[in-house]
Amino acid sequence: MRLLTRSSVRYWLGHRLQTALSILGVALGVAVVLSIDMAIDASREGFRISAETVAGRATHTLTRASGDVPDRWLGVVRRDLGVRLSAPIVEGYARSDLVSGRTLRVLGVDPLSEGPFRSYLASAVNDRGMGRFVSDPFAVYVSSVLADGAGLTVGSDLPVTAAGRSWILTVAGIIDPIDDLQRSGLADVLLMDIAGAQDLLGSVGVLTRIDLRLDDGVEPTLDRAIAAGLLTADASLDPIGTRSETLSGMIGAFDVNLTALSLLALVFGMFLIYNAVTFSVVQRRSLFGRLRAVGVTRGEVVRLILREAAVVGVVGALVGIGLGVLLSRGLVGMVSRTINDLYFAVSVRGVEVDPLLLLKAASLGVGATLVAALPPALEAGGANPRLAALRSEIEVRARQWVPRIAAGGLGAAALGGLVLTVPTRSLIVSFTGLFLIITGLALATPGGTLVVVRLARPALTALLGVEGTMAARGVGASLSRTGPAIAALVVAVSVTVGLGVMIDSFRGSLTRWLDGTLQADIYVSLPGATPSRAAGTLWPSIVEDFTAHPAVVGHSTYRGQRRVEGGDVYDLVALDLDPRGEAAFAFLPGSEPDALSRFRAGDAVIVSEPYAYRRGLDVGASVRISGEHAGVDVPIAGVFRDYGSEQGTVMMGRVLYDRLHSDRGITSLGLFLVQGADSEAVVTELLRSVPEDRSVIVRTNDTLRSASLEVFERTFRVTAVLRLLAFIVAFVGVLGALAALQLERGRELGLLRATGMTPGQLWRGVVAQTGLLGLAAGVLSIPMGLALSWVMVYVVNKRSFGWTLDMRVAPDILLQAVVLAVVAAVLAGLGPARTMAKTRPAVALRGE
Amino acid sequence: MTPTGPSIALIDVDKSYAEGGRTHAVLTGASLTIAPGERVAVLGPSGSGKSTLLNLVSGIDLPDAGTVRVDDIDLGGLDERSRTQFRRDRVGFVFQFFNLIPTLTVRENLALPLELKGEDPGDRIGELLAQVGLADRADSFPDRLSGGEQQRVAVARALVHRPGLILADEPTGNLDVDTGGVVVDLLERLVADAGATLVVVTHSASLAERMDRTVRVDRGQLVST
Repeated sequence: MRLLTRSSVRYWLGHRLQTALSILGVALGVAVVLSIDMAIDASREGFRISAETVAGRATHTLTRASGDVPDRWLGVVRRDLGVRLSAPIVEGYARSDLVSGRTLRVLGVDPLSEGPFRSYLASAVNDRGMGRFVSDPFAVYVSSVLADGAGLTVGSDLPVTAAGRSWILTVAGIIDPIDDLQRSGLADVLLMDIAGAQDLLGSVGVLTRIDLRLDDGVEPTLDRAIAAGLLTADASLDPIGTRSETLSGMIGAFDVNLTALSLLALVFGMFLIYNAVTFSVVQRRSLFGRLRAVGVTRGEVVRLILREAAVVGVVGALVGIGLGVLLSRGLVGMVSRTINDLYFAVSVRGVEVDPLLLLKAASLGVGATLVAALPPALEAGGANPRLAALRSEIEVRARQWVPRIAAGGLGAAALGGLVLTVPTRSLIVSFTGLFLIITGLALATPGGTLVVVRLARPALTALLGVEGTMAARGVGASLSRTGPAIAALVVAVSVTVGLGVMIDSFRGSLTRWLDGTLQADIYVSLPGATPSRAAGTLWPSIVEDFTAHPAVVGHSTYRGQRRVEGGDVYDLVALDLDPRGEAAFAFLPGSEPDALSRFRAGDAVIVSEPYAYRRGLDVGASVRISGEHAGVDVPIAGVFRDYGSEQGTVMMGRVLYDRLHSDRGITSLGLFLVQGADSEAVVTELLRSVPEDRSVIVRTNDTLRSASLEVFERTFRVTAVLRLLAFIVAFVGVLGALAALQLERGRELGLLRATGMTPGQLWRGVVAQTGLLGLAAGVLSIPMGLALSWVMVYVVNKRSFGWTLDMRVAPDILLQAVVLAVVAAVLAGLGPARTMAKTRPAVALRGE
Repeated sequence: MTPTGPSIALIDVDKSYAEGGRTHAVLTGASLTIAPGERVAVLGPSGSGKSTLLNLVSGIDLPDAGTVRVDDIDLGGLDERSRTQFRRDRVGFVFQFFNLIPTLTVRENLALPLELKGEDPGDRIGELLAQVGLADRADSFPDRLSGGEQQRVAVARALVHRPGLILADEPTGNLDVDTGGVVVDLLERLVADAGATLVVVTHSASLAERMDRTVRVDRGQLVST
């Protein structure tokens, strides 16, 4: 080993705390980035594998924009379009107590058409269970993964609920997956005969889609069949995967937001590394001076520091990968739950370790380390051998640089602000702006610290006497080392403030929205695959019974469909609105005053804010709605506030919907009760009238409101975890920096002890100094946190999800920030204060 | 031994430093010539510019005006990297505060200049350590050595790569009289053996007397006495 390398290895081994903290900084940053990546990737993969396994070897799929496909279309496909290889599919979701918490995917197939499509089913045709499968419509095939998990064997009963009804299915056979892909894709699939699946899902006479295998790749045109009235105008033939890709794309903004948050943890990690490397350079400044005097070049010194950083980066990345894989196992549940809550049903059975993700995280970790180490490395290389040993010179230079760095930082923040004004919906641009603001304001913190310290000095002197004065002076005198630590703490605390204010503003906006939107007293729906999205069709008898209840004086009906057209996904809602429910809509300025009456008459639609924003539409523009017979262009009469779907919602009067569709179903129902009625009692009575084998969700206004808020809280649980992790990274950084700073002052403190300062005075002085740093960080983090929350509320949220939030600043969040920063800093100072106070002056003096 | 050390020439050198927004002139029109193998003591009060002279001769600092020449090399004409290379190859430093590398052992401290020059140490380190009487401390770290021992190591390190020019900045300033005497004996003997040019900055009149010539820094000028 070369002597310079050996020298640096010994230095780092001799400063184990510093080494460990640097490695921890990289490791935590890498772990957070990797775990989020892995959790989102696992969810996407789960969805993709499941879609691909179910699709089998189909190349295309025939669907209908406005809903289910009539089963007579199968004949049209085979006879009129001439596609022999085609298979009808009915698909939906069920739940079973045997596998609670998981959504089972019901796949209804025609065994005789399946041969060319799904090999796992074709292989089961020779199985003895196939006889039962064909003869008993409620016989199912399950994969061995599901069978093992639920304790099922051939012949077992499998109780399920689907579309609000309870069923007992029988296991006809068990499919042994031939590979991991199939194992994962079939894990939650119930394979049934199509007739049974239609009964189970309440879709008699209709199919979800028809799978086609066009081996020659020539797509038949549908126009002639549509013209002949064999298919409806909204029939659509698409390559397989288009639909699942479109659905998968829905989580794009969610993905970018979590990734950005995880990158923030890496940025904190960079502060930590910068801090540790700067510290190591400051400590070895005179050493570098000696090396330069004996002929070591600037480049050699820079390379030496960068080599050290690279080793820290690589070790940190390796540790981070281990931590990240562990952490991802915890996060994947939260992430997939949120995706289930907000976007689509997905079943994630485990987290795959993808070498590419590991490589990406490791490269980010090592890259971030090198970037963070570069400024101190260049600083070390520039060390003038003549002045190397003069600490005062370093601090003088540091203080000279403070205003320049602050000005540069404010410039960067202003540039970030400018970037945010770029009229784009790109999240990358938005987060670049946000990161510029964060970095810029962080650079301005050392200057801000000096101001805060100057202001706090008289009070500190009055409170603690000479210890107070020395503590205040000490902060300024060691700015080259405390600056990065304070900046890291300020960023961490301000991100805590920013996220806190954003979440609080979101909660406030959502609560107000729910208060306005939920006008009915009772809501009725079927249990769906995702808790926040009603699906299925209520039985007409139940609708009749419920609306005829003596306490019910009015009702609104709601028909919701998720429409996937081309690359677009949105929710289409047909509403038959009771006049009492009209207050539900909070229209944005610019909406037509008669929007609701035009909507009722079927002359116009109203759209949600995210719908309009994402598509760049406004009042007066038209939206194309596919109907069974033809598409129509309907003008937008109003844009309403909505936090229910980030993809956007088009709402039309039931009149218009009925004009375009033959579907007369109702997805959910809002009931208005007579004044003074007891909602809870009415719910009980309504539920009593539901036949035993059916299940309907009947909730009071309050219960639905709480359930919606619960989904909201669950959605932000991942954010809360990331926020905590980011804070831990910053705290560790501050702990390390302040501890090292105080320990470095060993000789000075020993001198103070030798000249008569008591251990108690010393202790107070050290804690006062670190507390002062914490106070400065806390105070500075408030404006920065508010700036961040403003950007997150008005820019990031709008661009990510399309909705506008009302910013609300709760004073307790700001107070918490200051307390948090002071406590973190004081805690960081306690250890070294205790050590120094206990150390005998002679030992401390010799320590140098 | 025939001198192998370089000649040194300072011609009309100006050097000043900025201090708290004011400029403090250290050398003004200073000139000096030192012959190859000559041993020169530089005397003068604190802050008079003695160490500045060493920094200029070693290429650590550049003059504001004038020329510093070592043999035929005009240091002002070299870039930073070349001046570092010049120090690495041709200069040996002895500092008042020893300035050994604390994370390297005694042997490794001596090996460093050789490694930087790309030379194989062979028996050179062992021989030098034996000459300075520290053969048994080769594997000790500097903080385990007394001040006198550390300075003996520093002397050995300054000479290990056979530089032609040895610059010593108050080599006995931090040592007691006896220990200082030992270090100076050693320095003299080793420099004489190498035939090197020696410039010693010192406050010690007795050390100055042992040199071939004394130069005094007086109000920015270099005056031979």
